[in-house]
Amino acid sequence: MDLIIKRQESNSRGQLLLRAFFGWLYIVIPHFVVMVFVGIWYSILEFVKFWVALFTGRIPEGIYEFQKKVMQWQVRLSASLLNMRDGYPAIGPGGSDPDATIEFANPESVKRGLVLVRALFGWLYVGIPHGFLLSFVGIAAEVVAFIAWWAVLFTGSYPEGMFDFLVRYMRWNLRLNLYLSYYTDDYPPFSGREQVSA
Amino acid sequence: MSDGIPLPQPDELTRREKEDAMGAYFMMFAAWALGLPLPLLNLLAAGIYYGLNRRQSRFTAFHSLQSLLSQVPVTIVHAGLVFWLVRNLVIQAPFTRAFWLYLGFSGILNLVYLLLSIVALTRAYRGNFFYFPVFGTIAFDRWYGPDAPPDTERGQRPNLPPGR
Repeated sequence: MDLIIKRQESNSRGQLLLRAFFGWLYIVIPHFVVMVFVGIWYSILEFVKFWVALFTGRIPEGIYEFQKKVMQWQVRLSASLLNMRDGYPAIGPGGSDPDATIEFANPESVKRGLVLVRALFGWLYVGIPHGFLLSFVGIAAEVVAFIAWWAVLFTGSYPEGMFDFLVRYMRWNLRLNLYLSYYTDDYPPFSGREQVSA
Repeated sequence: MSDGIPLPQPDELTRREKEDAMGAYFMMFAAWALGLPLPLLNLLAAGIYYGLNRRQSRFTAFHSLQSLLSQVPVTIVHAGLVFWLVRNLVIQAPFTRAFWLYLGFSGILNLVYLLLSIVALTRAYRGNFFYFPVFGTIAFDRWYGPDAPPDTERGQRPNLPPGR
């Protein structure tokens, strides 16, 4: 899985203030309205994917493409709301932003037994340990995002350490999501650090 | 009048076409997926699925349309059952013998529909056609019959001058 969020050399203070005061109006509300409908469709396809993966050991290409686009949308929306990227995030799964996106492959095959285990006990052996730790990291991420907001306001650029921390937080969440969505059979690490593939 | 569109054989279809065709029959579980006891959701989901996939592939379009059309009578029977149930609960009317007969009929219809759908989705996944009674013929005529739209009309909608 590759999470790509490019750090800008400089950030716009005007856009920062605009997002802080009116972001809920021109970013959150329109994205949320579309996301409700897309989310319903996502849930239906998630259900279909479970049964198809369970019986065929494969994730249908159409569902994979749709879900990847939705995750890419979530990444660019999060990057925008965390002030990591300027500009308006493209709305809906049809949009794209090569500077804030996620890439992952559709596995040739998935372990069917593991699909069932994840569906039945994922909350137990993945949700609880990761959720517990991520709740603390999430609080830290909120604090970091708050401090970064002030840093951008005064310096005009996002502090690199804070930027990396938020990227790692997002990567951890996304890895968890991919594992629970059957896109990988590898148990997610308890970290958001980038993994170098062998 | 032409004889219609030649039928593709299983090895001529891509895996994507077969998977998308199979997915159409899963729309009968949309209400389950959302956890809402609204039979109309299945029909709506099947309609959206057909709308999204009808231009992708003729094979997928056929199966999606068959799934959509076959949802109609099942949805009507379901809606009738939900209406009857809610009405009886609201006005505290007794559940008559007719109600239980209707419930039994609805159950049998569901079972038959479930079995037909499982067979259809399995066949679709293998790249085969499977025809439901009545709806199979309609869907086939729409996408493979003599009046089926040619490939050029399945793609992007062309710009035309006013009045055409």
